[in-house]
Amino acid sequence: MAQIEQSDNGKKKKGAQKKMSIHVDFTPMVDMNMLLITFFMLCTTMIKSQTLTISLPSNEKVEQNQMNKAKESEAITLILATDRNANGDVKKDDAGRPMNTVYYYEGMPEIADADGDGLIDNNKLKAEQFLGNDGKLQQGIRKILHDRNKQVLEKIDKEKARWRAKEFSPNSAINDSIYQARAREIRNDSTLTRPVVIIKAAPEASWESLISALDEMQINQISRYQIDNINKTDSVLILDYLAKHPKK
Amino acid sequence: MGKVKIKRKSTLIDMTAMSDVTVLLLTFFMLTSTFLQKEPVTVLTPSSVSEQKVPTANLASVLVSPEGKIFISIAGDADAATKDEWGSEAIRRQILLNAVDMYNNQHPSNKVQLTEQQVQTFSKINMFGVPFQVLPQFLSLSQTEQDKFISDMNNKGVGIPINDNKDMERLNEFQIWMRAIYNSGNDNLQKAMKKGEGIAVKADKDTPYNTVHDVLDNLQTLKMNRFSIMTALKTEQD
Repeated sequence: MAQIEQSDNGKKKKGAQKKMSIHVDFTPMVDMNMLLITFFMLCTTMIKSQTLTISLPSNEKVEQNQMNKAKESEAITLILATDRNANGDVKKDDAGRPMNTVYYYEGMPEIADADGDGLIDNNKLKAEQFLGNDGKLQQGIRKILHDRNKQVLEKIDKEKARWRAKEFSPNSAINDSIYQARAREIRNDSTLTRPVVIIKAAPEASWESLISALDEMQINQISRYQIDNINKTDSVLILDYLAKHPKK
Repeated sequence: MGKVKIKRKSTLIDMTAMSDVTVLLLTFFMLTSTFLQKEPVTVLTPSSVSEQKVPTANLASVLVSPEGKIFISIAGDADAATKDEWGSEAIRRQILLNAVDMYNNQHPSNKVQLTEQQVQTFSKINMFGVPFQVLPQFLSLSQTEQDKFISDMNNKGVGIPINDNKDMERLNEFQIWMRAIYNSGNDNLQKAMKKGEGIAVKADKDTPYNTVHDVLDNLQTLKMNRFSIMTALKTEQD
């Protein structure tokens, strides 16, 4: 492990001091350190998880006349559902994405069945998926919400460009806070047409799909949304939709 | 023609530099690491674009297992130096006493009695989740036995009982715990809970919504309308 070498080159001179060079072999030390590093790497959480703050409405009963009613033209209702197999596991599609479906309708639901064939005459329900972006283009439900909130998003994009160019202030912290304040102002600007989104989740809908829906609110800068319980009308609409569009 | 001389070199490699590097790396990992907290079930949180960090202090996190079992973990003030301040151990102790008190008031015929030893054990546990009636038995187990006990999802004595309850006079056990945590006496924790940062709900991404909905609904009943949800990070592109 450690050795002391005499550098005498074979010749011996009398009276000359012996020169010693010391070699310490560090290989075992390195071995041990590597083991410790491996241990620490496996036992640590490098990525701290993030949080998403939500606020639910209070449970207390509100008087009918005190309720803020959303304008019908502004309202859009999302109903989340997830396909599960017999074991209750979430089904995956060919690309490995969980099969979460977002049903949505605009305004008030219609469940009138005038001709009596057991199907709703004018089912406004449509189905979409969480698809994210394709490059710059929105896809799936994001595109629907994006189009509904276009006025707000256009204004915010302009501010975002100014924020990127650091036009508000050269100091990045002040720049950020001015941008945030302006974005909030635009999100809450009642002169713009902004949607009111009601998110409902079916009992078997995965937790992930609810978070994805809340995410879409953040991505599309929608300030007015709420999580609500699914009701009978919604189930009827979905059943009707599935009857008309059977799954392959 | 001169002969090509092959120099004999020693095969010893100087490992000193290598050792230096590894020690540096080791130091880095030791300083930056926070150890994984022991949890009875591993859950994969869904991903979100939100970039808020999870607070490490003054946090009550509620873990919902895919089977619908509830576990709670409590963290107190991070920089509490003395026992009089609300460090994690002090606050857990206080919460336990509060909660057992509330439970005994509601169930005068079926009281839970804990020894000082058991209270001590509780204050050292990071994450707990057993009904009040099982609490004395659970707290007398050794640490390894506790971990084994609490990880058994088929056991009926695991998980804090929860049901749909709007009656504020007769709280269910989950509501008792949350109320006890809120009234723990630590102002910082109460403030954090009011802001919504003090309560974190953690559930697996595949968990059905109605399982988590129980927790959300109970929190709503307790007027804890603001809370956070634990998520992993993703970008806007996916």
